[in-house]
Amino acid sequence: MFEEASEVLENMLKWSLPLSLVLFLVLVCPLRAEAAHEFSVYRMQQYDLQGQTYGSRNAILNTEARTVEAEVLSRRCVMMRLADFSYEKYQKALQQSAGAVVIILPQNMSTMPQDIVQQFMELEPELLATETIVPVYFALEDEELLSIYTQTQISSSSQGSSSAAEVLLHTATANGFQMVTSGAQSKAVSDWAITSLEGRLSGAGGEDLPTIVLVAHYDSFGVAPWLSYGADSNGSGVAILLELARLFSRLYSYKRTHAGRYNLLFFLSGGGKFNYQGTKRWLEDNLDHTDSSLLQDNVAFVLCLDTLGNSDNLYLHVSKPPKEGSPQHVLLKELETVVTHQHPDLKFSMVHKKINLADDTLAWEHERFGIRRLPAFTLSHLESHRSPARHSIMDMRSVSSSLEGAGEATAGPHVDLTKLRRNTKVIAETLARVIYNLTEKGVSGDLEIFTEQMQVQEDQLASLVDWLTAQPRAAQLLDKDSSIVNTLEYYLNHYLKDVKRHLVRADKRDPEFVFYDQLKQTMNAYRVKPAIFDLLLAFCIAAYLGVLYLAIQNFGLLYSFLRRVTAPRVKQH
Amino acid sequence: MKPSHFNSCIYVQSETRNYSKIDSGSARTFKGDAPEDFVTCSCHFKITILLDPRRINHTESSTMTLFHFGNCFSLAYFPYFITYKCSGLSEYNAFWRCVQAGATYLFVQLCKMLFLATFFPTWEGAAGVYDFVGEFMKATVDLADLLGLHLVMSRNAGKGEYKIMVAAMGWATAELIMSRCIPLWVGARGIEFDWKYIQMSFDSNISLVHYIAMAAVVWMFTRYDLPKSFRLPVTILLGLCVYKGFLMELFVHVFLLGSWTALLVKAVLTGAISLCSLFLFVTLVHSN
Repeated sequence: MFEEASEVLENMLKWSLPLSLVLFLVLVCPLRAEAAHEFSVYRMQQYDLQGQTYGSRNAILNTEARTVEAEVLSRRCVMMRLADFSYEKYQKALQQSAGAVVIILPQNMSTMPQDIVQQFMELEPELLATETIVPVYFALEDEELLSIYTQTQISSSSQGSSSAAEVLLHTATANGFQMVTSGAQSKAVSDWAITSLEGRLSGAGGEDLPTIVLVAHYDSFGVAPWLSYGADSNGSGVAILLELARLFSRLYSYKRTHAGRYNLLFFLSGGGKFNYQGTKRWLEDNLDHTDSSLLQDNVAFVLCLDTLGNSDNLYLHVSKPPKEGSPQHVLLKELETVVTHQHPDLKFSMVHKKINLADDTLAWEHERFGIRRLPAFTLSHLESHRSPARHSIMDMRSVSSSLEGAGEATAGPHVDLTKLRRNTKVIAETLARVIYNLTEKGVSGDLEIFTEQMQVQEDQLASLVDWLTAQPRAAQLLDKDSSIVNTLEYYLNHYLKDVKRHLVRADKRDPEFVFYDQLKQTMNAYRVKPAIFDLLLAFCIAAYLGVLYLAIQNFGLLYSFLRRVTAPRVKQH
Repeated sequence: MKPSHFNSCIYVQSETRNYSKIDSGSARTFKGDAPEDFVTCSCHFKITILLDPRRINHTESSTMTLFHFGNCFSLAYFPYFITYKCSGLSEYNAFWRCVQAGATYLFVQLCKMLFLATFFPTWEGAAGVYDFVGEFMKATVDLADLLGLHLVMSRNAGKGEYKIMVAAMGWATAELIMSRCIPLWVGARGIEFDWKYIQMSFDSNISLVHYIAMAAVVWMFTRYDLPKSFRLPVTILLGLCVYKGFLMELFVHVFLLGSWTALLVKAVLTGAISLCSLFLFVTLVHSN
């Protein structure tokens, strides 16, 4: 009886044990995955501004990779290299409802030719203008990614051409890649605070002195927030503002030179690329909600610094041409004097553009002040606010500096330190002439104030620009505890008095701006074989097992053969 | 070293939000290019797939990876099953004896690991230089395998063939479960495809033949009536069995063999050893 029981048990166990094990593991065990290649990808912008949505709405993807040459693009991840990128291909991918788009950028932009960079810069606003549910990612190229791209390209372009047998063979041998991101779906960031910093230098001689306001926004913008370094726009503006703070705080701290009859108010605004949110709220708070502030009293003019790191042009943008005898007119005249006498190679002109409230966004920062009836200008080397250099990821710190000798010129917008220094000097000289009233006192236009100990220091500017472009400065990435904001505050504290932070939070019910998260992800590329490959393999294995079965069944034949071979030897003994 | 991370099985559900639902294994649902065009077919799917492989929806990838695991597992396990059935062991109620042999395998492996950990601690050799002497010493510890096999066989009464087959089957099955099932389960089910799982399964087939040969040689070695002229060949074969792993690593290192070539060499080597041992076995058994 025991033998029967043990036999039954044996049979049960033989069959149920592996099955139950498999079931258990299927239900419980997590799946461990190792990727062929893991790399960081940066998502395209996603934000709402004044109710209008921009950019890519989706963040997750788990699709197979293809390149643009493939016929079927729907629900696939389309990979494109910057060198082959064009708007038509992008549109084609979107129209065929692709699952995702990954644009591969070279590690070193300076290897790209000028026209490709220009073309991409012009396309950036168009990419953002259409709201799309397709996640768009940017990745920096390395060897493995390049090999993945090449393999995908080969298999995509060969899809359309061949017969069923060739396709069969091809799918059996080729590698496909599955692209998977690890993060969650993107959602709106609640309660994001945009920080702005202000500081002042008080003039000598009484309470009711007029104020000159110097403004620069410190954030940057590009098609991908994590890739927006904003060297020229607006890293150059911030560097100039900080250098001016340093120079004028020196002038204002020596008793003999502290005869300036103007207060100086420095303002580093956040959210500048999102329609100057920082400035807007700061103005509201100072003009509407507080009883006394420098802005409410006598403001001589506001000078906004925006993109001043390059080129030999200088434009003063105004919304209303200054009237004779006003402080604004004095500034204009002094600027012309300084430029003609000290820097004749610089071409200076005034650009008059009326504020157009019907536009989605304001053109320059001075228009915010203009709306509140404060006289304001923007100084920039760009002639038009629509220039692509103001919101491009190609705007990066170049390697070249005049001190180290000529580096290679990068294709995109970048900061040229000699020109930045020259622009800083022009502005500093102009402001000094206005503050100390030098023209009325008969000082000639050739006199340079900022020389020797007071000179504009190029290495100071260089280190500021280097620090600013070392990390991306998109507004979505700089919250009030970020290191950039803290460092700027520390720097201003060093030179100015009454340094204050000013926070902007979007209104709960009708937010002016909404930011979304999941801007940087890790993408994994897994090598996959198509489904038909598994079937082929199953057939082959079945054939192999059949052959094996036959071999084992007929093992006796081998045995008897060997026996016959050894039998004569036995007979010999 | 690439970092690896865990995906829970829930990721399958997140796909199904965007794509069609995965039905049971027999039916396949896949979309045509137009979104409204759902086509469900069960028995025609193979033909349709052959004609238009581009239309396959890759949410089937998760079932396909299980399929791949099934492929590898059947490739590894079926020969064992076939051997068990065809060698007539099932008639002798040898199942529990095989399990005992498997338990002995576990015990021997444990002892070997303890021994290695105690007497061969990891030392900072020059990276990339293959430590011949060290690996040789480690391979010598594999003599414990022979002792284990001998132990199993001595406890089973019966004919020589029965003893050999029981010991070898139990031993090889235990090795299959311990050293191959877990990597197959974890790795072959992943999205990432790698040929090494198929190679692992082939390797398990080769191991089966290897252990049968090894058990036969051990049995012959311990026979009291082994003729003098057989001593030397049997000892040589024994040595080859024990150091086969070491020899394989040596070949791979010196000749820089690819993985498929190494597998082929291993198969050839094992085939040679097993043919020789079979020859000797037949001679021994039928010389009486």
